[in-house]
Amino acid sequence: MLQYVNVNIDGATIHAPRGTSVLDAAIEYGICIPHLCHVPFLSDIGACRLCIVEHVVNGRSEVTTSCTLNVEEGMVIRTNTDKIRRLRRNLAELLVAQAPNSRAIQDIALRCGVKEVRYPFRNEDCVLCGRCVRVCAEIWQARAIGFVGRGKDRHVDYPFGIRPDFCKQCGSCVQICPMTIPPCDGPMKPGEEYLCGKCESQLMDETPGSCAWCKLGEGFGCGRYVGI
Amino acid sequence: MPPQILDTILEGRRSQPNQLIEVLHDVQENYGYILREAIESVSQGLGVPLIEVYRVASFYKAFKLNPSGKHVLTMCTGTACHVRGSHLLLDYAISQLGVKPGEVTPDGLFSIEQVNCLGACALGPIVAENGTYHHHMTPAKLRKLIETLSRQEAEDVQHAQTQ
Amino acid sequence: MPRLNSYRELEHLRQRLREQRQNITTTVMVCGGTGCRTSNSQAVIDAVRDELSSQGLDDSVRLCVTGCHGFCEQGPVIIIEPGNIFYCHVSPEDAFEIVYQTVMKGEVIERLLYEDPVSGERFKTEAEIPFYKAQDRRILSQNRLVDPCSIEDYIVAGGYSALPKVLNGIAPEEIISEIKSAGLRGRGGGGFPTGRKWGECMDAPSDEKYVICNADEGDPGAYMDRSVLEGNPHLVLEGMMVGARAVGASKGYIYVRNEYPLAVKNSRIAVEQAREVGLLGDNILGTSFSFDVDIARGGGAFVCGESTALMASIEGKVGEPRPKDVHTVVDGLYHKPTTLNNVETWANVPSIILNGSSWFASKGTKGSKGTKILALTGRIKNTGLVEVAMGTSIREVVFDIGGGAANGNSIKAVQTGGPSGGCLPLGKFDLAVDFDVLSEAGSMVGSGGMVVMDEETCMVDVAKYFLTFLQDESCGKCVPCRLGIDRMLEIITDIAEGRGRMEQLDLLEELGDTISQTALCGLGKTAPNPVLSTLRYFRPEYEAHIKEKKCPAGVCKALITYWIDPDKCTGCGVCISGCVHGAITGEKKQPHVIDAQLCQKCGICRSECKFDAVQVF
Repeated sequence: MLQYVNVNIDGATIHAPRGTSVLDAAIEYGICIPHLCHVPFLSDIGACRLCIVEHVVNGRSEVTTSCTLNVEEGMVIRTNTDKIRRLRRNLAELLVAQAPNSRAIQDIALRCGVKEVRYPFRNEDCVLCGRCVRVCAEIWQARAIGFVGRGKDRHVDYPFGIRPDFCKQCGSCVQICPMTIPPCDGPMKPGEEYLCGKCESQLMDETPGSCAWCKLGEGFGCGRYVGI
Repeated sequence: MPPQILDTILEGRRSQPNQLIEVLHDVQENYGYILREAIESVSQGLGVPLIEVYRVASFYKAFKLNPSGKHVLTMCTGTACHVRGSHLLLDYAISQLGVKPGEVTPDGLFSIEQVNCLGACALGPIVAENGTYHHHMTPAKLRKLIETLSRQEAEDVQHAQTQ
Repeated sequence: MPRLNSYRELEHLRQRLREQRQNITTTVMVCGGTGCRTSNSQAVIDAVRDELSSQGLDDSVRLCVTGCHGFCEQGPVIIIEPGNIFYCHVSPEDAFEIVYQTVMKGEVIERLLYEDPVSGERFKTEAEIPFYKAQDRRILSQNRLVDPCSIEDYIVAGGYSALPKVLNGIAPEEIISEIKSAGLRGRGGGGFPTGRKWGECMDAPSDEKYVICNADEGDPGAYMDRSVLEGNPHLVLEGMMVGARAVGASKGYIYVRNEYPLAVKNSRIAVEQAREVGLLGDNILGTSFSFDVDIARGGGAFVCGESTALMASIEGKVGEPRPKDVHTVVDGLYHKPTTLNNVETWANVPSIILNGSSWFASKGTKGSKGTKILALTGRIKNTGLVEVAMGTSIREVVFDIGGGAANGNSIKAVQTGGPSGGCLPLGKFDLAVDFDVLSEAGSMVGSGGMVVMDEETCMVDVAKYFLTFLQDESCGKCVPCRLGIDRMLEIITDIAEGRGRMEQLDLLEELGDTISQTALCGLGKTAPNPVLSTLRYFRPEYEAHIKEKKCPAGVCKALITYWIDPDKCTGCGVCISGCVHGAITGEKKQPHVIDAQLCQKCGICRSECKFDAVQVF
């Protein structure tokens, strides 16, 4: 028996089952909250911080990730305030400066309103979103890969760096990875990374925050595309 | 690698995943580093997925995945030691020994570790050599310490050869 | 020692132990803490013990190996009672004289007395020494009375009186209400009201609850918890017992960082001893209260000082924090309600129970009650552990207790609260050591670390140092901390190496603000503080690095040059033989010259020159 609660997201009263996250409830109702490490059929870890929202409690608003916040009766959430948009834009800027060579990351940056990148571009091929690790552990229960190391040294690897024989060779890790989609103009050379900005025409800037089933979401496997 | 020691370490802890860190501490103390076979045995013994054991061993600084040198120079780089010039000590050790923190000199004698505070702040800068703390260190004193240790090693080798 | 089955048996034991010590006329307390051990106090302990034995004094004189007295630079330290005689820099060879002159004849040995570095005066007793006199050592003074490895010492000194009191007809709600009235706030850095935390944990419904002592003390430059845990582990244990009783926990952990082997050892011994007499285990003192404690070791990760990361570590996992939308007092260790408090917080509990909340609240300010232990280090004359009443000004701590600047330099700033805190300039030294006051000023009391900086400390370098530290210790899970700190460090390194641009200062502030609001845990959220506080108060230094490409303090290697002052150089050649880069040339008795192209600014020549001829500009 599902218990339902009413939550207020951006002024709309939403009826959601107890135990769902604010992010899932919002996406279900068509309110777009940008996200990267969230995948509907995997657990949420709150690592990318893109899905941040303002949770208004006792007159104070706390910035927290909507994927780890479960709906409660009477909750008040704001997903698109100026503060949230500015914070989200800065986070997306950090991501795209780190890994511009992925269409998914570029799409996210545009969706979050990044216009200029104020840091020197790097050309990393992993943003540590953890999708691959979680799909391997939770769907296939193989646990052939995981996060090793700490801080700047954190990376995804096999045990001892060698693919174990219990890897099922399912290819899910590659499929679900946001980095495997090169930008429309093809892979960038190191030193020639940039934000192309061509997808802007696809963005419906007049109604920020509402879901437009935008082409961009398809790139990084937004909740509406991957399906629940 | 003698299996008996590993058995002793795992005794009373089998199938208890929460003992992982204590077990790895014991492995580190007994072998000087966490060998690959140890990770595999611990994974089986405690019932923790292999990747998880490897993950924990690589996350915590206390666990080394590679052997250390015979003399481990642990340089404290805490705030109090830093304002007294500990970065000069670290730079000097790196240039003198030719290795970076975590690496071992080719003769296997020295390795450098960096630790963020040993808790003896009033006596800094501190350099610990295999657990012995040396206080109020300067680049000059560090040079002497390394020279003394090197000389002793050379003497021991000579002494052993003449036996 | 036999098991104690009731409160009365405990009191009888206390009485018996005191009677056994009636023949003791003198107590010689030798410090066996980590600091003094580094200065070879073990040899002093052995020498004094042998000397007392050979003089046949074993029955009338008690040798007590104590924990840290907090004045580590003066170690090895010996205190002799009666008389409160304080000897410092004791070497094993002094043992005979100390036993013969002072213990047997009551005479003071002048040369072993503390000499004030400012006035040159020698002080006979500990109580007179200015460093100690200006303090309020409610907790630290207890370190003198006990050998940490002796539960008998603790009982004789009056310990384990708070536990029977709370087991004897006081309801858990009353215990919590007393802690609330006392106004005790967390001493680990958060400053959260302890009574409120306990109350929330008590209210959380569960059959299993935990209490944890956070002895991870990752802040570099802080060693208060080390001293308290090493020197008086039973005090901390007793605090945990009271807390467990209040919230309804039956299991506790002391999580000690791996870099404190002596604290690990002494807490293990203390737990064993408490179990032996039945103060830990089932049906303590014949009541229905059962409680046991285990020691868990850290693995060398600063992030494990964060509560959820610490709990993950006890569970055998990596120390990655998790979101705290539901607090750990409800969902903590193994998803059970858990009360986690710092060592010093637990250490304050027994005295609150024994002396009452008004006694505790009689010191301190409106928002911050009681005393706080600070680790005063850096560029001052007297460094060490300092316990003062909340509300004491920074000026008092740095100048009255710390004795002012060492080396005749002028003091510029003080860094409080470790990597989560900030730097405050000399102009703000009248601010009080108070949770809210320091937070408003852009810093924090934090765990109590206080590093004093002078004109030879570069504030840009300080910011760079803390960012490097945090980058090394970050768990790496969330984007703002992992990527944000990295980019802040990139910018600061540009500035420190002469490539900075003025607009980067605005970017630092904006990035810092983003990180502080979006990071997953406390490490990330407070990471920008050192940068933002140095920008706020020391902006001219940043601008000098950017506009003039100069480091006013003479620290940033890319912006300084080493040179030899020809007026001071005697041509002794020590620097030439010391220079590993072959950068110095000169004839004997002629002024030497450093070749700036070859010089790597390693600092050896500067530390070896006895004439202070090597200068930096």
